Amino acid sequence: MFMHRSRFPIFLLLGLGLLCLVWTVPARAAERVYIDITQPFFQRLPVAIPDFKYLTSNQTQLSREMATTLTKDLDFSGLFRPLDPAGFLEDPQKTGLTVTDLNFPVWRRTGADFLARGGYEVADNHIKLQMRFFDVVTSRMIVGKMYEGNVRDWPTMVHRFADEILLALTGEAGAFGTRIAFVQASGNSKEIYVVDFDGSHPVQITSDNSINLSPSWSPDGRKIAYMSYREKFPKIFTANLQDGTSRLLCGYPGLNATPAWRPGRDELAVTLSKDGNPDIYLVSSSGAVIQKLVNGPGNDTSPSWSPDGRKLAYVSDESGSPQVYVLDVGSGQKRRLTFSGSYNTSPSWSPKGDWIAYCGRGDGRLDLYLTRPDGGGTRQLTRGEGNNEDPTWSPDGRMIAFSSTREGASAIWVMLASGGGARRITRLPGAQQLPDWSPRSQVSE
Amino acid sequence: MRRDLFNGTRFFLVVLLIFAVNACAKKTIPTKQEFPTESTIGTTEPTSTGAGGIGGINDGQWRELGLNSAAERQEFMKRAQTFENDDVYFAYDAYVLSDEARSVLNKKVEFLKRYPKAKVTIEGHSDQRGTNEYNLALGERRATSAYHYLLNSGVQAAQLSMISYGEERPLATGQDEASWAKNRRDHFVLNL
Repeated sequence: MFMHRSRFPIFLLLGLGLLCLVWTVPARAAERVYIDITQPFFQRLPVAIPDFKYLTSNQTQLSREMATTLTKDLDFSGLFRPLDPAGFLEDPQKTGLTVTDLNFPVWRRTGADFLARGGYEVADNHIKLQMRFFDVVTSRMIVGKMYEGNVRDWPTMVHRFADEILLALTGEAGAFGTRIAFVQASGNSKEIYVVDFDGSHPVQITSDNSINLSPSWSPDGRKIAYMSYREKFPKIFTANLQDGTSRLLCGYPGLNATPAWRPGRDELAVTLSKDGNPDIYLVSSSGAVIQKLVNGPGNDTSPSWSPDGRKLAYVSDESGSPQVYVLDVGSGQKRRLTFSGSYNTSPSWSPKGDWIAYCGRGDGRLDLYLTRPDGGGTRQLTRGEGNNEDPTWSPDGRMIAFSSTREGASAIWVMLASGGGARRITRLPGAQQLPDWSPRSQVSE
Repeated sequence: MRRDLFNGTRFFLVVLLIFAVNACAKKTIPTKQEFPTESTIGTTEPTSTGAGGIGGINDGQWRELGLNSAAERQEFMKRAQTFENDDVYFAYDAYVLSDEARSVLNKKVEFLKRYPKAKVTIEGHSDQRGTNEYNLALGERRATSAYHYLLNSGVQAAQLSMISYGEERPLATGQDEASWAKNRRDHFVLNL
């Protein structure tokens, strides 16, 4: 049934995915195909990721780098517990790559339930990278992929494979190839930067030499809308990531702020104060006002769309203090969501629509919370560790990026949606804030 | 035997295209402006440090102000200094005007009526606590409160413009109540 030395076609992959249902891995949630890692007491799956095998003799240092990148991704997911390579009994340059040439009992003895194996060849600047993920207990391959391209792009390939592993095990692909836009503050200016989800490869997007805030990715990942004072007054611009240009989107009198791209449409929700006080408007991709979404005597700001683009979470202080509300765009009905605490802001709707994350003040500090869109099930995600603001979700709904001052100046951190596993991802000089997580469709620049 | 081959060539052609294009950030404005843009007057850079625009006033500007004698001009400079130095302060998370705020604003009304050609930008600020986005709205409302008060006291609309800086341009950078209180303010900058 297993083909020798072959790359497994999709249908066999699906077949193996179904085989996950009949695993008998003891005391593990792997008995279910859909592993819910947002449950706080989920037990991580031990996985062995030895150095990759180089099939040609150049670029041997990538052998460890690639394995490390894959290890970090799987560790980040909260699903796995990568084993210490010091405990591996075989030389990774001699160990096999496929089901037929791997000795699974040896790997079982290291305590692994899963094994990731990669092999690569480099010629000029071209790399061929094959990776496979095995269930050690049943000696079967779960997923295998082959990637080719410029050797410089190996991290993208490894991240994609990590996405595939998660897809195979949980039914939902990972988001390891996605990126996070944020504000980098140093000196007197704040510019928009983009970084890989794990903090590597920071790229500067704007060079306006002004104060720039609130980056917001377009659904196709090609543009970032943001607010800037570069034309003296607070206006909204869009940066085109493919050609490096930026253009004015909204420059109405007063405040133009907090752009939020509407899922599935070429429209944005924005805060404008042109009619007297800050309200939320729907504008087209050329900045023309389509309709006023939220009108009120107080301040209305910080819109965040539901994944189907039909509802909007936002902040209003019409009750006397800033609180999170939900607007049904079709009917125009508004409903207040938060009732405890005197300061609840920065809502962010999860990609599956099942949670709204927000920032609430208590004990003089800002912390992150989750609540269901109907208002129930409120949970506190951070506690007693500096100020934690501006949550944003990864597109697979597993992770939340946010800014935190728990180690001094504000930096971008990522944690699991369950609230655990928080790790710092930016270490640039100055301060980092206002993160926005990219969609899955990406353009590199 | 089929290769489950991820075709990298097409994918990474995009990367090549990117490097081929000379990527410098150009500011391009769409040809069809759908909205009016705020006109800026005079000052080359927004400032909230109290330095204001009264540094050097040239002849043209004096004529615009309608001040011709040396005595008048000296008087103006003195009053303008005070005008810009007195900020209006706000309570935490609030944008209503206190009695103290009103008395400061009354003096500004006097100045603006005495010099009906003088133009001012009202800058609304907040302290650094709280989220950046909500603080932008708060700063906007603080500026608006002062704006309406001045307007209702008889100042010409043409003399007034507003801008919110939220928490982005704090005057005091300490992490204590005294610093925060200094930042919750409207600051008035003469445009010359």
